[in-house]
Amino acid sequence: MPVCATTSCGQNETRNDRIRANEEVLISRILEGEKDLFLELIRPYQRTVYATLISMLGSKEDAEDVTQDVLLRALARLHQFRRESAFGTWLIQIAINEARMRKRKLRHGIMFSLTNGADDDGAYVPKDFADWREIPSEALERSEIRKALAQALTLLEEHYRLAFILRDVNELSITETANILGITRGAVKTRLRRARLMLRDILSPGLQQGGQVGLAFKEVRKPWE
Amino acid sequence: MGITCEEVWRDISDYVDDELDPKQRIALEKHFAECRHCAAVLEGTCNVIRLYRDERALAPPKGFHDRLHQRLDQRLSQGAEQRIHPSRRAVLAWALTAAAAVPLGFALFSAKRIVLPRLGHQSPSGSPDSPAVTGLVAVSEDTDDKVFHIPSCPYLHGKPKFLPVAEAIREGYSPCPICIGKHKPEKKG
Repeated sequence: MPVCATTSCGQNETRNDRIRANEEVLISRILEGEKDLFLELIRPYQRTVYATLISMLGSKEDAEDVTQDVLLRALARLHQFRRESAFGTWLIQIAINEARMRKRKLRHGIMFSLTNGADDDGAYVPKDFADWREIPSEALERSEIRKALAQALTLLEEHYRLAFILRDVNELSITETANILGITRGAVKTRLRRARLMLRDILSPGLQQGGQVGLAFKEVRKPWE
Repeated sequence: MGITCEEVWRDISDYVDDELDPKQRIALEKHFAECRHCAAVLEGTCNVIRLYRDERALAPPKGFHDRLHQRLDQRLSQGAEQRIHPSRRAVLAWALTAAAAVPLGFALFSAKRIVLPRLGHQSPSGSPDSPAVTGLVAVSEDTDDKVFHIPSCPYLHGKPKFLPVAEAIREGYSPCPICIGKHKPEKKG
């Protein structure tokens, strides 16, 4: 059983099968003309599409604008959905393509990054060994914590960021993540390891100090130098 | 302690994803029980995942859902209108196509009338008995080259004499290789 998951693999599979069956019915009805059901179909994915886009584009306004474009595009292309993958996976693929196109168009997708280039397969040494036992659900009540989470993501190289978003935010499997990114499962695991440990290093000092994340960020901007 | 801290850090993400074999898993769990630092790294990593997985992290801004639904509703109602009434653009496209078809048809009809009889006259086919070989060809009265041409051939020199192609062949004329060479009759025997 995954250590950090809230439900077991078996429960997840059953839930996913049920969701997929419901989606199949909805998609068939939409294609037969009941277009209003599209809102119901996309409801569970609005946040995941937005999260993917904000992690790629960095700006809330762009992420919202592209989210709307992605969902409209999905409606227009629904007849092309082959049902080989889950609907959510298909939607995320459209979102990633759309974000890449938007970045090329706007030429402002360059973010400060703590890593360079391709996967770094070398050993990663954690920078902070202090205990971090704050309850996450309480932490998220504070807006500065939510802001810190969004900002921490922008410090990662895009390929680490995307692997993390797909696997840990959108809760896709490692295989689904690999398929979307067009890389091997091994490469996904490498990127996930990096992303998770780096995010922990970036976030933990602030969260240990009772949410003084802004100050902690400056201290850990390049923690391994 | 069976495995080192470096080995734990290398495998910690796979441990979280339950991607290790049972032997490796037991080794890591034993290590976490004995190493406070690595246990803190594991706890922190899980906290990161729990935080980002929460619906409140990376949540869309206020009013996002309303704005999205408004735009989708707008699109859906546009789509419904398009199903009932063809769009102005479609009507315009049909009108333009029809308008273009009229002069095009007229031009083709005229070209057929003008070009085809001339081709019938200028392009006698291989056999003198062919019904296509009905027009006149030209031979030169001033030269002895024994070549016949179509009347407008630039290689026809001197005063032209017009005669049926069958007669020209009978009199020993050969077709001009430039203008009607392609239609040179096959030699019999």
